[in-house]
Amino acid sequence: MDFDAIVVGSGITGGWAAKELTEAGLKVLMIERGRTIRHQIDYDTETKAPWDMPFRGRGDTERYLRDYPVQMLNRQFNEFTEGHFVNDAENPYTTAEGTDFTWFRSYQLGGRSLTWGRQSYRWSDYDFGANLRDGHGTDWPIRYADLAPWYDKVEDFIGVSGAHEGLAQLPDGHFQPPMALNVVEQHVREAIRARWPERCLTIGRTANLTEAKPDEGRTACQYRSICARGCSFGAYFSTQSSTLPAAQRTGRLTLVTDAAVSGLDFDPATRRVTAVRYMVSGQQHRATARLVFLNAGAFNSVHILLNSASEATPNGLANSSGVLGTHIMDHANTLSAVALMPGFEGHTTFGNRPNGVILARYRNMDRMDGDGHTRGYSFQGGALQGTWTAGKREAGIGLDYKQKLRHPGAWRMVLVGFADCVPRARNRLTLDRSRNDAAGLPLLHVEFAFGREEQAALTQAKRDADEMLTAAGGRVIMGFDQPGPGGTAIHEMGGARMGHDPATSVLNRWSQAHDAPNLFVTDGAQMSSSACQNPSLTYMALTARACAAAVGQLREGRI
Amino acid sequence: MMAADPGPDRRAFLSGAALLALALGVPIAALELSPGDSPSARQQAILREACALVIPRSDTPGAGDVGVADFVVLALAHGLEDSRKPLTAELAARYTADVRSDLSLLHLEWLEAELDRRSGGDFIRRRPEQRHALLAALDRAAFADAAPVHPWRTIKALILLGYYTSEAGGAVELRYVPVPGRWDPDLPQTPDTRAISNDWSAVDFG
Repeated sequence: MDFDAIVVGSGITGGWAAKELTEAGLKVLMIERGRTIRHQIDYDTETKAPWDMPFRGRGDTERYLRDYPVQMLNRQFNEFTEGHFVNDAENPYTTAEGTDFTWFRSYQLGGRSLTWGRQSYRWSDYDFGANLRDGHGTDWPIRYADLAPWYDKVEDFIGVSGAHEGLAQLPDGHFQPPMALNVVEQHVREAIRARWPERCLTIGRTANLTEAKPDEGRTACQYRSICARGCSFGAYFSTQSSTLPAAQRTGRLTLVTDAAVSGLDFDPATRRVTAVRYMVSGQQHRATARLVFLNAGAFNSVHILLNSASEATPNGLANSSGVLGTHIMDHANTLSAVALMPGFEGHTTFGNRPNGVILARYRNMDRMDGDGHTRGYSFQGGALQGTWTAGKREAGIGLDYKQKLRHPGAWRMVLVGFADCVPRARNRLTLDRSRNDAAGLPLLHVEFAFGREEQAALTQAKRDADEMLTAAGGRVIMGFDQPGPGGTAIHEMGGARMGHDPATSVLNRWSQAHDAPNLFVTDGAQMSSSACQNPSLTYMALTARACAAAVGQLREGRI
Repeated sequence: MMAADPGPDRRAFLSGAALLALALGVPIAALELSPGDSPSARQQAILREACALVIPRSDTPGAGDVGVADFVVLALAHGLEDSRKPLTAELAARYTADVRSDLSLLHLEWLEAELDRRSGGDFIRRRPEQRHALLAALDRAAFADAAPVHPWRTIKALILLGYYTSEAGGAVELRYVPVPGRWDPDLPQTPDTRAISNDWSAVDFG
């Protein structure tokens, strides 16, 4: 054996797997398909001003339309951050007729941990019990109690700031001090609570430090809100700022970059994954280990398993159930309401808070009060002032116009609805046998559509958002109830779901393949349902938990 | 409506672009314009005047003082603010003289012709206050127009972008605070409070 464990991918969960496994004493190889980005050294655009950039930070639209037609739709994508996103032209995927799926990707050391939104929420038993309750998908083989200590561990290490609210549907965690709501958000929180005591608007729980972690070389947030360029302060959680240095400190991590995994080898006699195959500069390499962790990102982990088909596993590795690739999800989201908020003209703020608010789920909890749907929705957003960009929408030229744009503009409040996405068999990933990538492997093919449950949830969300902002004294100027394309929330998950039964699921309760006990899939692919809050914290907690299980089983000689 | 000989103008523009490329440390190819995107000297002069009229010099530099017109030319050539997006056939019919074969607009040709038309002759030869009034009238008409796209609205958006992302606009007219270091959720706003040009949520969503 070359290594004790191989971790495929270096993003949010790959970093955690590498840290946990090396700290447990294992010799680990981490394989990353993209380039190296060194913390603090390679954040090339971090401190640049718009006037330092050829296209003033907006970027070359003509080139983006050609090379980044999907990534350019990401709100974090711009001229400063384009180097942290994939070139779509060089990394194609195909979609079924009628599928509009925007797959946002970052192929580099640190993966999407460099570009993520940092919102970090615990899931609750409303979420882990959702499939059992309404019959969609398959029951999760775990509940909140299984994960709670692992949430504690992850929050303590990555640093999550947030406010304790005592909500069953959005459990409190080990938080650093919260960032403050701004003056308008505080007003809206109180106005909503006065009329709907069960509806809680609170500051986002975000993996940005409000207290430094000097032992780890991480400084508190400087309120620049340019996180996706890379943060030399180490103030937000990324692989580079946090898990990678921890893994490297053990002296047991070997890291290879620019190395795309082409498949896993499987021995049907022992039911073990025996090797990981990967390409470096057109050369095939092969590494062996006792354990393999797939952390390539939900869709890419499934892609690797589908591309690892063999005589013994003709439909893909770990797919005796036939459900590999099925039941993929992404939150259905849309701009539910935007309102002008008069009455705060004498108020402004200072600093760029890299965080918004969340209005926790309140539907379909102990009472089924969803209109045409059985799950939840929540809102994220915040209150902000206008600036010169509002001038693009207004008539005016000359000195008065310039004078007006000199000052912070009108306050508005935005609520973006996030609806739980029901797991469905027809939403699935397959191989496109008609087209190959540069390495000669079939491309990933995405088939995805939201259904009437998500539509009903966003319709109700729009109505509620309008009602709440109006009750808070706002004047609603727009609102939508149609979800964006699949992938918009960048919470794509599922495809290798967990379940009790090897006949209907890919992974067991330890994120471990039913068909290959030394194979673990601990990124978004393992998810059996989607909840209506951001999933990354749950992926990290599941990863830490799976690592402990894997190490335990290894020591007991069971794998 | 094109200048008879765009050659010298193109060379003049490219020499400027070369300096810009040098200053920014980027390959000149990234800034180079194809022949169809190089404005005539007259079109450039009209655009410079439009920049100065939209954001005039006050106690801080105006858009005519800091090269915003050059940025607008570059931005139009590279499609910023959807400026290279083809129009619908119906809308293109309104601008037949100034659309490319792909139905995208030739903004600077349009601006030259439109301002001359509104001037009943040569816009550049009008007195400053007349030029202001003529452009203000065009601006009012453009924002009263219900069509989803209007060439002046696009040009004006690019003038604002060019100005407020220049050092003069972003750090002299407005405040640029690269490392705020703290978050104050409620401060008094007075008539002296200047917007912060790197308040990204305001820029993106305001």
